[in-house]
Amino acid sequence: MKFQIPIGPQHPALKEPIGLRITVEGEIIRDADLRLGYNHRGLEKLAEQKTWIQNIYLAERICGICSHSHTTCYVQGVEKLMELEPPKRGLYIRTLVAELERVHSHLLWLGVAGHEAGFDSFFMYTWRDREIVMDILETITGNRVHYGINTIGGVRRDLDEMQVKHILDSLEILRKRSEYYRNLGTTEPSFVARLAGVGYLSPEDAVALCAVGPTLRASGIARDVRKDDPYAVYEEVPFEVCTADTCDVLGRAVVRIKELFQSYNIIEYLLKNLPAGPIAVRAPRRAKPNEVVSRYEAPRGENIHYIKSNGTDKPERLKVRAPTLANYAATIKMLKNGFIADVPLIFAAIDPCICCAERAVSVVDARSGEEKIIPMNTLKQLSQKISYGKEKKRVAEWPL
Amino acid sequence: MATVNTLIYLIIYPGLLFLFLYSTFVEWYDRKLYARFQNRMGPTHTGKFGLLQPIADFFKLMAKEDIVPERADRKMFSALPAFGLAIVFTAMLLIPVWNYSLDRPSVISFSGDIIVVLYLLSLPTFIFFLAGWSSTNLFSIVGGARVLTMLFGYEVPLFLAVLSPAVLANSWRLAEIAAFYRQHPALIPVNLLGFVIALICVQAKLERTPFDIPHAETEIVGGTFTEYSGKKLAIFRLMMDAEMVVAAGLLATVFLGGFPGGPLLGLINFIVKTLFVIFFLALIRATTSRIRVDQVVTFSWKYLAPLAVLQLLITILVKGLIS
Amino acid sequence: MKIGVFIPELLRHLFKKPATVDYPFEKLEVPRGFRGSPYLRPELCIVCRACERDCPAEAIEITAINEAEKRFRMIIHNDRCIHCAQCVDSCPTEAMLMDDRFEISDYSRLNLKMEWEYVRAVVKPKSEQKS
Repeated sequence: MKFQIPIGPQHPALKEPIGLRITVEGEIIRDADLRLGYNHRGLEKLAEQKTWIQNIYLAERICGICSHSHTTCYVQGVEKLMELEPPKRGLYIRTLVAELERVHSHLLWLGVAGHEAGFDSFFMYTWRDREIVMDILETITGNRVHYGINTIGGVRRDLDEMQVKHILDSLEILRKRSEYYRNLGTTEPSFVARLAGVGYLSPEDAVALCAVGPTLRASGIARDVRKDDPYAVYEEVPFEVCTADTCDVLGRAVVRIKELFQSYNIIEYLLKNLPAGPIAVRAPRRAKPNEVVSRYEAPRGENIHYIKSNGTDKPERLKVRAPTLANYAATIKMLKNGFIADVPLIFAAIDPCICCAERAVSVVDARSGEEKIIPMNTLKQLSQKISYGKEKKRVAEWPL
Repeated sequence: MATVNTLIYLIIYPGLLFLFLYSTFVEWYDRKLYARFQNRMGPTHTGKFGLLQPIADFFKLMAKEDIVPERADRKMFSALPAFGLAIVFTAMLLIPVWNYSLDRPSVISFSGDIIVVLYLLSLPTFIFFLAGWSSTNLFSIVGGARVLTMLFGYEVPLFLAVLSPAVLANSWRLAEIAAFYRQHPALIPVNLLGFVIALICVQAKLERTPFDIPHAETEIVGGTFTEYSGKKLAIFRLMMDAEMVVAAGLLATVFLGGFPGGPLLGLINFIVKTLFVIFFLALIRATTSRIRVDQVVTFSWKYLAPLAVLQLLITILVKGLIS
Repeated sequence: MKIGVFIPELLRHLFKKPATVDYPFEKLEVPRGFRGSPYLRPELCIVCRACERDCPAEAIEITAINEAEKRFRMIIHNDRCIHCAQCVDSCPTEAMLMDDRFEISDYSRLNLKMEWEYVRAVVKPKSEQKS
C-alpha cells in the first residue's frame, strides 16, 4: 500500500517550515518531494534599498547559526568592489570568529543529530558545552547570535589579553569534551545503529548533485573553500580538510567532529600569532560600478554571494546562494529507499538552514492545485503597476 | 471488616487513590532523574521540589479543549482511554501488596495470577494500536503499526524472563513466588539475567527510549496519540504512568522478593523496590538513543529471546540441583 | 562498540549542580561590552545624523523642533532596533552608547520608544580631536 506522508511545513523534526512529501510503502520511502518557499523573506530585494553598511546587518540576519559566514562573504565582496585591503589583525579576528562559529555550529549539529535520533542526553550535554563557545563569542563580540563583528574594511572590536587567555583556557575544556563526544558518538551501540549506513550518498552522486560542505566531504571528496580558494588568512594557517569515506550519516557526524578539532587548532594558531596593528580601515560610502563573486566555507558548506554595484551607496543586486540550497538535490537522493524513521536524521545531516535557502516562492492555486513560478520580470511589472504614481516613502510605516 | 478491607483495597490503597498519587509521584521521580542525568533541573516550582508538577499537568490537560477528528470512530476513540486506565488499574489490584493471605487463595491472589497480570499488561498495547488506528491520521496509523510490530519483538522474551522465577519457585501465584524468594534469598541472583531482560522488555512495553518508536516525535509527530488531546490525552498519560508502577511492581514481586510486612511496612517496601526498578528504567532511557522498529525486532529475537531461553535453562538446572 | 559507555558520565552528574540556571529567579551576568539597547547622551550630540543614516532598521529619528534655537528631538524606536550598535560606531562624538539591559520586552510598542529633547552640542568629532 502506497501512501503519501506530509513531513512539514509544520513538523517536530523540522526547526523551520519546509514541505517534504514522502511516498511510502509501509515504512520504506519510495519517493520524496521538496516544497520550498514557506519562509521567503524578500531579502535580496530589500538589500537593493539599503546602503552598503546597512546591508552588513541584513546579511547577518540571513541565518542565525552561520550569521558570521554571511556577513564575511558579503563584506569580502564589498571590500573587493571598493578595493580595500583590511589590516592583518582585522582579518585574524574575523577568521577567529569564523572558526568559533564553526565550533558552535558543529556542536549544535551534534546535539540536533542526537535529538533527532531520540538521544536526548547527548543533545543536552553537547548543548551545555556549546554554551562555552557562545560565552566566548558574547565576550568578544557583544552578542551570542548576531555577532556583528564585521564591518567593511575590517572588524569592529579588538581583542585584549584577558580575552585571549580566556579563549585559550576554554579551548582546553572544549578539546576534552569533544574527545569524549567522539568516543561516545562512535561507540554507543543504539546511536551508531541509527547513524551507520543511513542516507547513503556515493561520491559520484555527491559530485553530480553538487553537494557541499560536510555532506560532500563525508563522501570522501576533500573539497573545502578554505583550502581550494583561500580567503581571509587561511593561506597562512595550517589545517587539514577532514573527510570520511563511509558516505552515510555517521560519516557526516565524524567529519564534523574532526573539523571541531581542526577548528580548535586554527583558533589556537590565530591567537598565538595575532599580529599587532589596527583592526579596520576607513571605508568609502560608495563603490564603483562593478560586480564580484565572493565565496566562503560556512559550517554547512560553500556559501556564495554575488554583488553588483552601480556607483551609488547601495548595491544594484545581491544574490545569496546558501549552502543548504546546494544540498537539497542530494537529500532527495539520500531519502529514497530509506525508512520513515530515518527521514529526520537524513534531513538533519545536511544541517539544513531552510530560510537561508528560500529564494523563490511558487504560487499554488488553492482550488485547482495548479502551481506556477512567477519570474522576476512579471513581479517587477506587478510592483510598478501597483506603485505607479504614488509617493515614495523612505521610512516604512509600522503598524502602530 | 472484610467489606471495609475490600473497599479500602479497591478505592484507597493500593487501588484508585494510591495508584493515582503514586503514578504522579513516579512520573516526577522519572522526570527529575532524567533531568539530573542530563545535568538539568527538572521540575522545580510546582510544590516542594516540583512534586506537584505531574498533577498540575494532569489538571491542565483536563481543562484543555478536547477534539475528536471528524472521520474518527467517535465511540471507540472516546472509550479507549477509559478502557486502558481500567485495565491498568485492575492489573494493580493483582500485585500482592496487602490484604491477601498466603494460605488461602482469594479474588486478588490466586494460582495463575502472574499470567493474568502479564495478560493485562499486554492489553494496553492493543489499546494503543486501536487508538492509533481509530484516529484515521497517517501518523497515528504508522504509530499503530509500529506498536504491533514491536509487540511481536518484546512480548515473548518478557514472558520467558518473568516466568522463569515462577518455574524455580514452583508456583504460578505472585504472592507465593515472592514468599519463596524471601525464604531463599540466595536464589535471587539466579534470576539476574532474567531481571535485566525483563527490564529491557518493560522499557519497550512502556514505549520509552530506546523503544519510544510508536510516538517518536521527530519522526511521526505524536504517533498513536497525534489526534488525542485534552481529557483523553490526560487519561492516557496517567495510564502510562500507572502502567509503569504496575510493571515495576511486577518485577519487584517476581525478582526482588515482593513486599513483606503489613500495610505500612509493605508500603515502604513497595515504594523502595519500585523506585529501585524505575531508577534503572530511567537510566536506560537516558543512556540510549531511539532505535528503528526493525532493529527492535532483530534485537529481541537475536539477543533477548535466546538469553531468556538461557535464563529458563539455568532456572531449570538450579531447580534440579536444589530439589 | 561498548554497551553503556554513557552510564558513568550520567551517574557522575546525578549529584552535581545543574548546568542550567533557574532563570527568572536568578540571572547570569552579561559580559562587558554586551550590546543592549542604545541610548543618547544629549550633551554630546552634534546632530550630524550619522546614526540616523546608518541605522539598518531605521530605528533612529532626529527631527528639528526649532532650527533657530538649535533644539532637536531624537527618538529611538526600540521596537525596531536590532541591537547591532552601528550607531555607536558611526557616532563621531561618542554620544550614542549601549546599555546592558536584555529584558526589554513590553506589551506595547509605544512603551519601547525613547525620546530626548536637547540643544545641539558643540563638541569636536573624535577624528578631529585625535589630529
